[in-house]
Amino acid sequence: MRDVAIAGVGLHPWGKFPNKSWVQMGAEVAVEAVADAGLQWIDIQAMVAGSMQWGGSTGMRAGNTLAAALGETGIPIANINNACASGGSVLRSAWLMIAAGIHDVVLAIGTDKSPKGFFPSVPILSEEPDEPVDMLRWYLGLPNPGYWALEMKKRMATHGSTEEHLAKVKVKNSRHGSLNPYARYRKTFTIEEVLASPMVCDPLRLYEICATSDGAASVLLTSVDYAKRSSIPMVKLAACSLSSGQFGDPTMRIPLLSAVSDERATAPLLSESKIAAEMAYTQSGLGPEDIDFVELPDNSSWHELQYLETMGFCEPGESEKLLDDGVTSLGGDLPVCPSGGFSSFGEATMAQGLLQVVEATWQLRGTAGDRQVEGAQIAMTEVYGAQANNSACILTT
Amino acid sequence: MSKDTSTTTNRHIIADAFVTSSGKAQLIGSRCSRCETYTFPKSFTCPNPVCDGSDIATAELSHKGRLASFTIIHYPPPPPYVAPDPFEPFAIGAVSFAEGIQIIGPMTDCDPWDLTMGMEIETVVEPYYTTRDGVSVIGWKFRPVSEERE
Ligand SMILES: [Zn+2]
Repeated sequence: MRDVAIAGVGLHPWGKFPNKSWVQMGAEVAVEAVADAGLQWIDIQAMVAGSMQWGGSTGMRAGNTLAAALGETGIPIANINNACASGGSVLRSAWLMIAAGIHDVVLAIGTDKSPKGFFPSVPILSEEPDEPVDMLRWYLGLPNPGYWALEMKKRMATHGSTEEHLAKVKVKNSRHGSLNPYARYRKTFTIEEVLASPMVCDPLRLYEICATSDGAASVLLTSVDYAKRSSIPMVKLAACSLSSGQFGDPTMRIPLLSAVSDERATAPLLSESKIAAEMAYTQSGLGPEDIDFVELPDNSSWHELQYLETMGFCEPGESEKLLDDGVTSLGGDLPVCPSGGFSSFGEATMAQGLLQVVEATWQLRGTAGDRQVEGAQIAMTEVYGAQANNSACILTT
Repeated sequence: MSKDTSTTTNRHIIADAFVTSSGKAQLIGSRCSRCETYTFPKSFTCPNPVCDGSDIATAELSHKGRLASFTIIHYPPPPPYVAPDPFEPFAIGAVSFAEGIQIIGPMTDCDPWDLTMGMEIETVVEPYYTTRDGVSVIGWKFRPVSEERE
């Protein structure tokens, strides 16, 4: 296995861009990452892209679409869809190509324009004998945040978490996001303002659930030896894991209708997330105590509370105290989502895992501006995908 | 045990997912005879990775369970959900059954704000919505066990 470097990154501001295509957004971040690395488009030896289900046939083959726009060179192009964890899966594939010594320069890219509101089901056009489960949960009326609300309700009953804790996550991430020029939402919120926002899926309120956005991000990976030619401060991708769920996990998984009961569970809640984090620790030889800051998947405030435990940063039920004590704020011992998180960016499923890695790269280069985590040398990111998809990265200087 | 399911033309929201023949509604899943894992909706396979059981039989779940969790949906979900007009917030529960499985379903016959974690729940079969050509689509729902009704 060879060491892998992040040689260049590109990020489009996130928001709603009705007059700009996802192809244009993707092309811009591709060019940006290549220029950031001091390379040319023709230097790229392979590309892995998020396979964007909202974009029709050309969206499903986003990598080929981008190559056609920027110049076809005959390189291997793979398109991957692992739901909201697609960005992590894309990066993992690119990482493996370099670590295995097959290629020296690989572009990982995600570009996405999301539908408004709750993510809808993707239509099934083949002839099937039965109604697929993804349709059934919609007949029941359970959108994605409803699944998260079911878990949060349990957390409140088990650990005594409160609605104020949910609001505090948003307050913290809105402060971080206000410092980030790439974020879609830059307004800071008070606890009172968050608690006054409309209830969506009790106990989750509007401001405690991330929006759906248009966004694009790219990460250009090279071998460490190749990157040594560059004058940019070296950031290494020390680990990039990929995981799926484990039998016996009591998480009610989107879009399923059942799970093992909590009493009979033989695997942890969010087993795939725990596995992804542990895999990243094993790959890097590092542990939670070594991490200077975290970009975790704050798809909702519940996620942030849960992931701090799942990633091994505290014991079950202790996340709320870390939040209350300011440990997870910028300036604290373990800043969480210094970018502002998905709370400030919104979800763009193909790109959000890469967004986290772009932010971590800037932080480790020391170029994150007002939101810089002082002295950051080791960063961890983790992204959550529907149907038990997960990927975690550890970056080092 | 159920209301408005016998008089009109009706269709099950999913085939073979519930029965009412005993007079009390029960969900139907499948059970692996080797490791006793239950699945819902029913499966052709055993999802336990260390079990090579191939004897998967249809299995009725208990009529009653406990409310493991619930959420109140405050906005109309997108299609194919058929929202009543006017829309009223409704609850979805996760009900834990003695067979070791928790299953989600809409809550009925209750004020969503009166639900409490762990309360005793029973399974019922009720209409979900009516199609444009007048077919009543029926499915499982959950409601708190009430002494008054028994
Ligand atoms: Zn079995």
